[in-house]
Amino acid sequence: MARATGLWGTLTAPLLRENPITLQILGLCSALAVTTSMATALTMSVALTVVLTLAAGLISLIRRHIPDTIRLIVQIVIVASLVIVIDQVLQAWFFEISRALSVFVGLITTNCLVLGRTEGFARHNPPLPAMVDAFGNGLGYSLILLVIGALRELFGKGELFGQTILPLADEGGWFTPLSLMLLAPSAFFLLGGLVWAIRSVMTGQAEAPEHVAPRQGEPAE
Amino acid sequence: MMRGIWGREMVALMLLAALAPMGLAWLWSEGLPALARLVLALVISGGWHIVFMLARAQPPSFAGAITALAVAMLAPEELGLLRLFLGISFGVVFGELVFGGWGRNVVNPATVTLAFLGFGFPGFPWPEFVPPVAWAAIPAALIGVAAGVMPAGVVAAAVLAGAGAMAVDLPVAHVLPAAGIVLVLLVADPVASAATTLGRWLTGGAYAALVLLFATGWQGAAPVQLCVAAALLTSLVAPLFDEIAITLWLRQRRRRHGRA
Repeated sequence: MARATGLWGTLTAPLLRENPITLQILGLCSALAVTTSMATALTMSVALTVVLTLAAGLISLIRRHIPDTIRLIVQIVIVASLVIVIDQVLQAWFFEISRALSVFVGLITTNCLVLGRTEGFARHNPPLPAMVDAFGNGLGYSLILLVIGALRELFGKGELFGQTILPLADEGGWFTPLSLMLLAPSAFFLLGGLVWAIRSVMTGQAEAPEHVAPRQGEPAE
Repeated sequence: MMRGIWGREMVALMLLAALAPMGLAWLWSEGLPALARLVLALVISGGWHIVFMLARAQPPSFAGAITALAVAMLAPEELGLLRLFLGISFGVVFGELVFGGWGRNVVNPATVTLAFLGFGFPGFPWPEFVPPVAWAAIPAALIGVAAGVMPAGVVAAAVLAGAGAMAVDLPVAHVLPAAGIVLVLLVADPVASAATTLGRWLTGGAYAALVLLFATGWQGAAPVQLCVAAALLTSLVAPLFDEIAITLWLRQRRRRHGRA
């Protein structure tokens, strides 16, 4: 895969080509849990992107001073402090959404995506590239969350951001909601379909097959 | 089963032949609407097989017709064209074709379709069967087992467990017809059920146990609905039963021969 260089490349690579969710399969837990509606998905995306960008900047600033043996603890302390700040902000101004997100804002602390970027990139790069990379990864995560959130809310409730798009049959319209979309399995199906679609277009992302089928018409052994 | 005439399509055709008496009895009793559903299911399922043949060079299979028959017989009624299309597409593509076609799927595509339709559109009534259709499940199972295309252990274990439940007077008589039809259509599937002898007996037993559990404990569920749920859970645990059977076999072998 041709690799774009420079800050622009660092920012755009995680959007599709190295997307944290669909290629690295990181941060799935929250991606599956908060995508029942666009509002929660968007809030979660913003919260994670802010935390990730700030954490990457801070860790990158002190990267030469973090002792190797306790680096994970230092990173988690920084991330956790930022998560607490975000959580308080959400509770102060967006109480309803904060209730809907429940424990998942707190769990940003342990999101593999955040630790993966701080451990894998911010620890070895100056603050500006580190923050750009973190911001790009946050955007990549947000993109997938918003796509899945939009599909689930549209087909599960006929709404987007709470606005009716497809009028429901119960209320005089024609659309019967697919209630499966509001259950957790549908997020798995949609994510699987999305990964499939992306890997069919960008064939470089597809993994090598683990098994090769025996040839037709020959004895099995 | 790759020698002589016993290729994959031969197995699929024998399964179709085994299910034919039951399918014909069902068509006879339900008439034209049933035929229309069957044709619709056949067209959708066959369409996806052709799409995957063109896109991925996967040979299409007569197994698509078995899926179509199972879905047409067991799917909730009055769903309408769009929902049936969505459900069958989901089941056939995500249940079978993405894994490489019939023979490599983990769960039965018809089971996936029915579970999807049942969970996705809970308000629709599940079908009821007249007694001749349920009786026709017996020749279907007999032909399938005699031809070696249905796993005998699964059928035998389920029938024995059902007979045992009747003998101790559990209140399950109302689900037995649906349980038999679902057994031959979804559970006794050579691909998605267990592959070891012990695993097959455990699979059949697990299906019967789940049906008995749901029949006595799940209030307000239609017979077909609870049997389909039991079939879905059974096909999910079938690989575990195989794993148990293989582990036991390896352990026995180590004890007898001193090495694995």
